[in-house]
Amino acid sequence: MVVIRKDITTPASVSNEYSPGVKGFLEKVHSLVNGLGITARISTEKPITIRYPAEKWTVSPRWRGALRLRGVLGHDEIPLIRDASTAYNAVIDDLYNGERLPPCVGNCPANVDARGQGFLIAEDRIPEAYELVRDRNILPGVLGRICHHPCETACRRNFYDEPVAIRPLHRFAYEEFRKVASERLRPLPITQEKSVAIVGSGPSGLTAAYDLMKAGYRCVMYEREERPGGALNSGVPAYRLPRDVLYDEIDGIVALGLELHCGIEVGKGKPLGALQREHDAVLLAVGLQTSRILPIPGAGADGVVGALEFLWAANHKGETGVRGKRVFVIGGGNVAVDVARCALRTGASEVRLASLESEEEMPAHPWEIEEALDEGVIATCSVGPEEVLVKHGAVTGMRMRECLSVFDETGRFSPKYGEGLSDFPCDVVVFSIGQAARLDTLIAGTEVLVSGRGQLVVDGSQFTTSTPGVFACGEVVTGPGSAIGSIATGHEAATSIIRFLQGAPLSENRTPRPVPVYAKYAVADVSSVERSRLRSVMPMTKPEERAKDFRQVELGLTHQEAMMEAARCLRCQSEVCVGCTFCARTCPDYAIHVERVDDPGGRCLTRYDLDLSKCAFCGLCAEQCPTNALTHTGQYELSFFHRDLMIFDKGEMLRSGDGTRATGRDGIMPPGCPVPRWRER
Amino acid sequence: MTQTSTSDVTPDTAETQPTGTEPTETVMETVVNIGPSHPSTHGVCRVVVHLDGEVITHCEPIIGHLHRGIEKMAENRTYLQVVPLTDRLDYVGSMYANWAYCRAVERLAGIRVPERAEYIRVIVCELQRIASHMMGIGSTGADTGAFTAFMYTFAQREKVVELFELLCGARLTYNYVRPGGVSRDLPDGWVEQCRAFTAQHPSAMLEIDDLLLGNVIARARLKGVGVLTQVDAVAWGTSGPIARGSGVDWDLRRDDPYSVYPRFDFSVPLGDNGDSYDRARVRVWECVESCRIINQALDQLEPGSVQAEGLPRLLAPRPGDAYDHIESARGSLGVYLVSDGSPRLYRMKVRSPAFCNLAVLPLLAKGHTLSDLVVILGSLDPVFGEVDR
Amino acid sequence: MTLLWGFLWGVASVATIAGGAILGVWWERKVSARIQMRYGPQQIGPYGSLQMIADVPKLLFKEDIVPDLADKAVFKLAPLFVFGPVATSMVVIPFAAGWAPVDMSVGILFFLAVPSIEVIAILLSAWASHNTLSTIGGLRATAQMISYEIPRSLAVLSVVLLAGSLRPLDVLSAWQWWWAPLTFVGFVIYFIASIAEMNRGPFDIPEADSELVAGYFADYSGMRWASFMMAEYGSMIAASLFGAVVFFGGGWPLSGAAGVVLLVIKTVLIMTAVMWVKWTFPRPRQDQLMSFCWKVLTPLALLQLVIVGAVLPWL
Repeated sequence: MVVIRKDITTPASVSNEYSPGVKGFLEKVHSLVNGLGITARISTEKPITIRYPAEKWTVSPRWRGALRLRGVLGHDEIPLIRDASTAYNAVIDDLYNGERLPPCVGNCPANVDARGQGFLIAEDRIPEAYELVRDRNILPGVLGRICHHPCETACRRNFYDEPVAIRPLHRFAYEEFRKVASERLRPLPITQEKSVAIVGSGPSGLTAAYDLMKAGYRCVMYEREERPGGALNSGVPAYRLPRDVLYDEIDGIVALGLELHCGIEVGKGKPLGALQREHDAVLLAVGLQTSRILPIPGAGADGVVGALEFLWAANHKGETGVRGKRVFVIGGGNVAVDVARCALRTGASEVRLASLESEEEMPAHPWEIEEALDEGVIATCSVGPEEVLVKHGAVTGMRMRECLSVFDETGRFSPKYGEGLSDFPCDVVVFSIGQAARLDTLIAGTEVLVSGRGQLVVDGSQFTTSTPGVFACGEVVTGPGSAIGSIATGHEAATSIIRFLQGAPLSENRTPRPVPVYAKYAVADVSSVERSRLRSVMPMTKPEERAKDFRQVELGLTHQEAMMEAARCLRCQSEVCVGCTFCARTCPDYAIHVERVDDPGGRCLTRYDLDLSKCAFCGLCAEQCPTNALTHTGQYELSFFHRDLMIFDKGEMLRSGDGTRATGRDGIMPPGCPVPRWRER
Repeated sequence: MTQTSTSDVTPDTAETQPTGTEPTETVMETVVNIGPSHPSTHGVCRVVVHLDGEVITHCEPIIGHLHRGIEKMAENRTYLQVVPLTDRLDYVGSMYANWAYCRAVERLAGIRVPERAEYIRVIVCELQRIASHMMGIGSTGADTGAFTAFMYTFAQREKVVELFELLCGARLTYNYVRPGGVSRDLPDGWVEQCRAFTAQHPSAMLEIDDLLLGNVIARARLKGVGVLTQVDAVAWGTSGPIARGSGVDWDLRRDDPYSVYPRFDFSVPLGDNGDSYDRARVRVWECVESCRIINQALDQLEPGSVQAEGLPRLLAPRPGDAYDHIESARGSLGVYLVSDGSPRLYRMKVRSPAFCNLAVLPLLAKGHTLSDLVVILGSLDPVFGEVDR
Repeated sequence: MTLLWGFLWGVASVATIAGGAILGVWWERKVSARIQMRYGPQQIGPYGSLQMIADVPKLLFKEDIVPDLADKAVFKLAPLFVFGPVATSMVVIPFAAGWAPVDMSVGILFFLAVPSIEVIAILLSAWASHNTLSTIGGLRATAQMISYEIPRSLAVLSVVLLAGSLRPLDVLSAWQWWWAPLTFVGFVIYFIASIAEMNRGPFDIPEADSELVAGYFADYSGMRWASFMMAEYGSMIAASLFGAVVFFGGGWPLSGAAGVVLLVIKTVLIMTAVMWVKWTFPRPRQDQLMSFCWKVLTPLALLQLVIVGAVLPWL
């Protein structure tokens, strides 16, 4: 090796000259001798040669040798992700670690197999699709209407046009399943002697009950209200979720063997202690019952209500007492939007939505806000409540202070207010700024602990409370959240209960859920995409009509639309070409030609041609491949006997690396991720 | 350093005057075609040489043998698809064309590049400068018959190329710098390998310098050959090591700072005489300075994203135009883009330094022998992919 | 009888040069490879030593291309002429005391004079190719080879002066060990001039591949090209052998077969030095080469001669 010199500094001028006279002559002679010395020294070094990929020390996924496909989408069935809830997490983890987890599944808190649903619906096996979804998402018909669909956010089809309509497909599957429900719903056999009591019939409670019943346990569920459904029943407005759908789906679960007792409030009619004695485990899935109301001046006046109470009245009585009045809704979340839209439907003359956050930061889902604005809700952003204006004990208006910023630099909630005040005349003020649990009657007389702020003390990953045998799940644990998030906790709690009942350790081999969220794709430009490839548009009622009553806004997909939509699913499997043609569209040299059959149920890749006489090995196609099916190999040496052989067809693209027509001794396949392959260097 | 132009012809008329011989003298003139297929044309250039004995009375580079119409091809491609085309401009220094093009696109579309990406771009482009100069210095050796020095420089280039191969999977056409950042983050262990390279490179470089440019024969061959005066260097629009070899103190990295270059401490080597020797040695010391820049950049490198956030998948900048230039291994490389608002370029124009630098060849070669012509051509270090485009 | 012996020795000489060229090419490829951080031939035979055996048939089977505009007869004849003189000059070199293939009283003069005929062959090939670059190469070669005859002969002359004879056998038998330091400058001059004589790097100006592509033999292919290469390697072997005999006393201090082995070793060392120089230095320009010859080497050789002449009376 060359001697490392430390004293290297760039000279002011690089043109060095020989010294004059004898010294210069010696320098000249020295330069010759020095040159011979350098070559002599280097000739003793170990020679270096260009290393072939076979000789390199890592198998690099960045190589840009010949291209090949790892697999293609064919007619054969894709693997459905299904397993008992106790083993499900392990299945997901395996898929995730192998980079084979479809993004829709990975991004769903409950890991619903949306890919399998798309496959089954496209095959016209719709009841099976419903049952597949129901394994992880207990109420597909309900969630198919109200879910905030993180699956669609992560859908790979975002990558190049629009996501698959996974949520409307849930709903469609339910509508179809309903027709054959009586044949397919049979009580699950009770194989275990132990039984579980579940308090609350919300989504998380139902989920846990379903998982436990599948494991063979007897489940008894208690509901305070007259009808089951929990927050879905009392909180979600009927225009989003028709009640017959909810009750019908819960009836389906009852048909599977759930013992549902409505109208019994645990703690009053039936103490929790009694449940503990009667059953081997108790699950508290009681949800959140009360709205928070800010302690500002005038908050106690007549006409100030909480969001939950307002929605309860709207849902149960169909009347909120705001007919002809001006309603002022404080809050920017989804519940606030629901309140605003309910107020419109119950006859409010003017509904104003005031959020602390600016327009971009509003926590409600943008499509909900949009629909509300369509219906006539007025939104006022970046204002915080200052005072309820009261005259003679009744609300006359609301004074708001301008809000400069809601979150500090670190992203924590820390609102900064400005000086500006504004008054809004109104008759009813609805606070929709958060909810809280009301547990005192429930836990009276037991050893279940609550924290100082009135919350249950719960282990967030095992869902155990301070008392053995008593578990909790749902929003009472997580705080206000989404229905699908509650369902995910129900699965986890059921797993804990099963392990508890079997005497197995609770935390062994469990990964905290949900799995990491996939990055959101940049929105694709769909201007050049033909209409037939785009997402089916969900038909909706006209805003002016729908704002009048509680009829369903979204009208659902037809059978034909659903089949087409399901066929749009790319059936993302890592390392399988789904024929998205993105490689062909991104190739600068137009060297790739892809053909695909798009028939519902028969979607497959029919042709994949790569013209190597055009390919420049720029690597853009493999980078763009959403499923990593198209990869480069370590084959740098390509030679052909005939020009025609330079076009690789599908069969050739699928061949394993060392047997391709492209000859060469260095056919190495790069794996999905770099694998160190230490060799003697 | 003389401040007057030594050329007796102005740049405009140089090519129209075929000989510089005395009109009274009868000269047997030999016309020799050097190229387009010749070992010393560094690609496919044809130089028509008029010889009086072995002395060049006039020479004219005929370019266009490598013309592929890249600027026209770009008009039929999306902004991303042009990046592989820019690889083929200066195929000895693909990263530069990538970068210059991406800078123009970013200026056009108003994209802000993450800091880590800027650092990575600086690192790879300084590595690319080393790789490119290795070619330039090595071919100076090969042109003068010292083929071993060429092999030594290529051993150094090989190390850079291997770093690039780890980075992006390609050894020549990298397609690495992309609008909005770079295509991939540095792989594990890359920084250490890069440091190992920069640790040994200056010493190895100076050893090669001793072997090749310290040699008395090489000095005799290079010194005083193809002298480009400071005035001519500016007048003919040369840039890069050719201008700096003539003492023109001009380096875009320092004089029109772009990217994160203002954060680095480096000096710009200059020559006194403007001959082939100075041009070669400017390249030697630029490699040493590049190592300094790389070391500083590696020290300052911080984790983060390497692609701009929220970049649309199909870029369609607003109608308008943008020009941006960077200091490539050959000089100031500029890219001018015009957008009509569609996802495809409306027009691309590349200001290639190699093209401007090659223009001085007739001026420099006149009066020298045929042996010197290849040395002069080599010292200009043209890459014909960039000259012809 | 003499004719028969002469013929046999001629065949042996050609065989030595051909075999030596094959080994020499392999050795040069290995030496240059190691200098350039490469491995050189590796695949055929131990250390790739049989590579040239594979290369010779390749050269034999290559298409023999004769340019359309070439003077065909001369073009085909020139490779023979280029090879002949070197093979001829080999026969006077003594391998051991009292043992030379051809014992010639003016053997040293013969050795120095005969290879100059090569110049004619090179000029013929250059001219016959009808190629500007070849012609330039041929003219360069002519100027270079004729000029470097002078210092080369003067350098050898100092040893001749010491031995008092132009007969190689006499030089060998009279050789004393202190001649080597005394005539070391002469050896260096002989070494440099010989490199120029055999058109090898760094003085391969006539065939400068970066300027003239391959100079005078640019248009030759196959075996005709190979004969130029063989001539180059042949003259390298001959010059190294002759240098080892004249300046380093042949097999001294050993004698007999051991002496011959030692002579071969010395020859190989000188050849390796020739290669070492070739793969280290750049190539000077033609005018620099000529001025070096006339302004540096020739006066130095004369100085060497004067020194030897001054020492001579004290012996």
